[in-house]
Amino acid sequence: MRNLKRTSQLFFALALLLSMVAGLGTVSAQDLKVLRVGMGAAGTTVVWDVALATDTTSHTFIEMMFPGLAPRDETTGLPQHGMAEEWEISEDGRVYTFKIKEGVPWVVYDPATDSVVEVTDEAGNVRYVTAHDFVYGALRTMDPETASNYGYLPADWVEGGNAFNEGTGAREDVKIRAVDDYTLEITSPEPAGFLLQVYGLWVFAAQPQWTIEEHGDNWTLPENYHVYGTFVLKSYEPGSRVEIIKNPFWPGTESHPIPKLDVIEAVFLDASAALAAYEAGELDTIEEVPLPDLPRLQVERPDELYIGSRDCTYYYGFNVQKPPVDNVHMRRALSAAIDRQTLVEQVLGRGELPAGFFSRPNFAASATQEEYPDLGAHSDPELARQELELYFEETGNTLETMPQLTLMYNTSEAHAIIAQAVQQMWKENLGIEVQVANQEWQTYLDLLTEDAPQIWRLGWCADYPDPHNFLGDVFYSTSGNNHTNWANDEFDSLIDEAKVMTDFEARKPLYARAEHILTWEDAAIAPIYFYTKLSMIGTHLDASPSIIGIERYDKWDILG
Amino acid sequence: MLQYFTRSLLGLIVVLFVVSIITFALMHQVPGGPFASEKKLPQTVLNNLNAKYKLDDPVWKQYIDYMADLVIPRITTGEWKYSVTNDYLFNIKLPVGDNTTLRWMNFGPSYTDRTRSVNGIFKAHLPVSFQLGLAAMFVATVIGIPLGTVAALRKNTIFDYFSMSVAILGVSVPAIVLGPLLQYVVAVELKWLPTTGWGTFEQLIMPAFALGFAQSALIARLTRASLLQVLNEDYIRTAQAKGLRNHQVIVVHAMKNAMIPVVTVMGPLFAALLTGTFVIEKVFGLPGLGHYFVVSINQRDYATIMGTTLLFAFFIVIANFIVDLTYVWLDPRIRFD
Amino acid sequence: MSSIDASTERVGEALPEPIRLAQETERSRGPWLDAWRRLIRNRAAIVGMVVIAAFILIAIFAPQLTNYTYAEQNYLAINTAPKWVIDLFPKMKEVGQEMGYVRVNNDYRFGTDALGRDLFTRIIYGARISLAVAFIGPLTSLLVGTIYGMVSGYVGGRTDNIMMRIVDIMYAFPTLLLIILMMAFFRASFSQSEYGTLAYQLNKIDAAFGGMLFIFIGIGITSWMDTARLARGQVLSLREKEFIEAAHSIGVSDRGIIFRHVLPNIMGPVIVRESLAIPRYISLEAFLSFIGLGVNPPTPSWGSMISEGAQAIKSYPNQAIFPALALFLIMFAFNFLGDGLRDALDPRATKV
Repeated sequence: MRNLKRTSQLFFALALLLSMVAGLGTVSAQDLKVLRVGMGAAGTTVVWDVALATDTTSHTFIEMMFPGLAPRDETTGLPQHGMAEEWEISEDGRVYTFKIKEGVPWVVYDPATDSVVEVTDEAGNVRYVTAHDFVYGALRTMDPETASNYGYLPADWVEGGNAFNEGTGAREDVKIRAVDDYTLEITSPEPAGFLLQVYGLWVFAAQPQWTIEEHGDNWTLPENYHVYGTFVLKSYEPGSRVEIIKNPFWPGTESHPIPKLDVIEAVFLDASAALAAYEAGELDTIEEVPLPDLPRLQVERPDELYIGSRDCTYYYGFNVQKPPVDNVHMRRALSAAIDRQTLVEQVLGRGELPAGFFSRPNFAASATQEEYPDLGAHSDPELARQELELYFEETGNTLETMPQLTLMYNTSEAHAIIAQAVQQMWKENLGIEVQVANQEWQTYLDLLTEDAPQIWRLGWCADYPDPHNFLGDVFYSTSGNNHTNWANDEFDSLIDEAKVMTDFEARKPLYARAEHILTWEDAAIAPIYFYTKLSMIGTHLDASPSIIGIERYDKWDILG
Repeated sequence: MLQYFTRSLLGLIVVLFVVSIITFALMHQVPGGPFASEKKLPQTVLNNLNAKYKLDDPVWKQYIDYMADLVIPRITTGEWKYSVTNDYLFNIKLPVGDNTTLRWMNFGPSYTDRTRSVNGIFKAHLPVSFQLGLAAMFVATVIGIPLGTVAALRKNTIFDYFSMSVAILGVSVPAIVLGPLLQYVVAVELKWLPTTGWGTFEQLIMPAFALGFAQSALIARLTRASLLQVLNEDYIRTAQAKGLRNHQVIVVHAMKNAMIPVVTVMGPLFAALLTGTFVIEKVFGLPGLGHYFVVSINQRDYATIMGTTLLFAFFIVIANFIVDLTYVWLDPRIRFD
Repeated sequence: MSSIDASTERVGEALPEPIRLAQETERSRGPWLDAWRRLIRNRAAIVGMVVIAAFILIAIFAPQLTNYTYAEQNYLAINTAPKWVIDLFPKMKEVGQEMGYVRVNNDYRFGTDALGRDLFTRIIYGARISLAVAFIGPLTSLLVGTIYGMVSGYVGGRTDNIMMRIVDIMYAFPTLLLIILMMAFFRASFSQSEYGTLAYQLNKIDAAFGGMLFIFIGIGITSWMDTARLARGQVLSLREKEFIEAAHSIGVSDRGIIFRHVLPNIMGPVIVRESLAIPRYISLEAFLSFIGLGVNPPTPSWGSMISEGAQAIKSYPNQAIFPALALFLIMFAFNFLGDGLRDALDPRATKV
């Protein structure tokens, strides 16, 4: 027993010691404005490398630390002046010339002085952000050696980019160049209405060549991580927390005003844990709210609950080669039998918008069902039953003899709830008993590509705020994201035509027609709803919640 | 003794080797891959990624390359540049030449966590799992052994039933419920402890309790069973007959021997705690290794799957080995031969 | 997970002597009958048996106990609770009270979930999955492990050596890896089967179990190692016994010896071990649900209900607590029954 006691004492002392060592380094600062944010999911790791980041959490930080040429305003989605003070577009709409803001230094966190310092070159001169850094950044992202997941984005929209990204073309032939230290010229392979939005993205941001080359993969450690935006990385504990501090050298732009906060502390928690921490007063804002707590929070904390929109669409796709959904009337019947209003109001209840079109309504060139009320998918049980009759007439099938339908989704609570609700609606409105099945994510993705099930779910979120990113990039006949096996020549030519037009209003009717073909005439998909984003924002904050999925905390402030 | 060590070591190598083959074959067999995503990557990008991580090679060649990087030590001289593909667990400076270093065990880069190597993941998250595991074991022992002892001494009485009920309560309440409940009551309502996070002693208490309480039943039950058995042995009866007072008998004679099976459970228990903390990590937002193990499997992050599997297998084998050694320490009658 | 098996098993290895002795010395009086008598003297074990029996009855007669089906959704009654439930949980406040947010609906005994489905109905149907899990996994493990261990121990020599090495390797495998990969494999290969094939039929059966049947057979197949070691150890010590030699000398075949003499002798310890492992299978189901690999909806299981409900625990504690209570009861029952069985089959410990 004595032995045992000693052992347990040892355990305890050891645990205590270890935890104390781990506990060092937490700094409390009373007079600083510190914003405490709950983000992402537990275990989220941030990919700090601008060229390699793919997730929202990483982009949240990168958007603050590496401002783009013309970043989107996070509340409107429209491009603003960022690192580009002005821009010129050539007559043919292909050459964009950006004037880069002068006097913006590269900075880094210096642990010795616990402050942000300017980065200097070998000669001791301060390094300022130049057009060359932007050229380097875009080229590094496209470089096949980098193997960036987003390499295709700059490659698609800079002449010579795709050849370079494929490894067949030379780096020198990519048409992005620094005319002088503060003039950047980008040539697109074709004109497009949304080029400024694309060039404003993070994949075209400046990257610090010297530190990347000197430190290799270690350049993202705080001591090597050179940035130029509003905040600077101070410390990072993978999967747990991030601390960033204000960059005092940032001069401020339209897109990135001089920050009022001093420190932003982010912790990574699951929605439920984050809400607990928020309710205990340990966090000022959280990015996600668990659905079941919504009714309670609406009553208990109405002023803190924020429901905003997100650039994503949830939809069910049909594999148009598999009976019975090879028949358009069956597809229309299924689509019209989904009571989208009930689904979003009763089942989901997060303020989602029922979707009759596929692309999000809040982009400049988006056609909306308010403007085109007769087009697109509509929830209408009567219409659904008529279409089902047409299916029976055409095929000679009856409810009993028609092939069994399976709706498949990737394993997740949220998808399960929607699938079960829709299953119920199909049963009530059409009398069809549809099986629902789920697949683990990876298997599911494999299935979609190789042999998509009759009915499947996916969501799509915008890469850049334009309907082309929805209709063109997903359902164009040759798109790798089109798992429906559906192709329509009229649809394709509408997309081609609208893509190169620069007048947003003129593009709208074309997209409206394309939407109608996709969602009703051919009913290749059944759009379900447009996403919303729920967050809790403390009433002591002056916040500007984002509609583009990436919060810009550097613009927030703490009142009082 | 030496022979025993050699044999155990050989056994360990064989086990790890076979585990590596099976895992490698299995994970490449199931559908999916590390670069599959909701938005399908363009073919060019996929080609670049496959080229970078050598996923175009036949699986057997990938395996040989992987094992070569892992097993064969390298000696480097002069300037050495870190990269996620070139990160060794052991870097031993040799006393010869210009910066000559022996490097061993490169677990490769993570395929989905693009700026980290598997070694980097170990270094960041294993200490968390380790501390949590130790703390949970401490809790399990502190709850389990007294409960088991009481139950054994008062067998088939209300004390026995009560003690065992408390212990079984631990296993019977799923961590998915116990965790959030503790969090809500202790942290949100009473504000005694922080809700989530990692780094301070306060933050360790709730997760360690939630995790340890569940394991205390095992320890309590073992303590009870083995104490009952030992109390029945002749030498204890002799001691009692000689007039030793009851609790002295228990403490001095019985406990030491009764602890053998209990100690044997500690090693494997610790190994299990290292891998089995996923739920608790999620609930309390702890950056432990369990999360990365589960996520890597879901994302088909091949290198991380291999790395964590081998690491856990290593811990399990070592834990069992240590248990064997403890046997000898506690019971001199057992010998290695 | 596998490592915990390792521990319990090692203990078994440390204790075979008394168990075996007990069985031999009391053979004349009929060891099973004695064990049974000892078992029914154990009040905790009796309570455990009664609870299990009650749940089995509930599972069988689930349709008779409720007016709802487990999949039936009522959008007008999402997240409702009856009055008594609201009174039970101090944090739940009904609409109309200050800060009230819970809608009262007394039609549902335990309230409804996020889709307006009856919690009570889902819990009693969920008993089917949990009980199936509790028996299928251990049975598979028992079957595979006993045969494997007996063969290994009986044949002996090199074969025994190799077979035990395989067991060592299986131990070192993180169970979770096997489960997740197996899951992906089973679901992918069965879900695409053609109508009328064997795979299709199997898939149908699996669907009736909410997609968990093969998983638990699979888990059983991967967790037989303890049983195998235990069985082997028993066979090894029995092999030298006089009655086996006697059987040999009068010309009983090897198979006859294994089945008629060895098997009955090792069943005691093996059953004890498996019954103590049952709670682990049940909590494994809950864990799988938590990481999103549980039953196919709308099939209810306690694990999936708990992990869904845990998300809502701050606002609607009833959605997690009631299924957790059911899980808790059955775990308690199996644990007590397991302990009781062990005491009953290990009579030396009982004399104290």
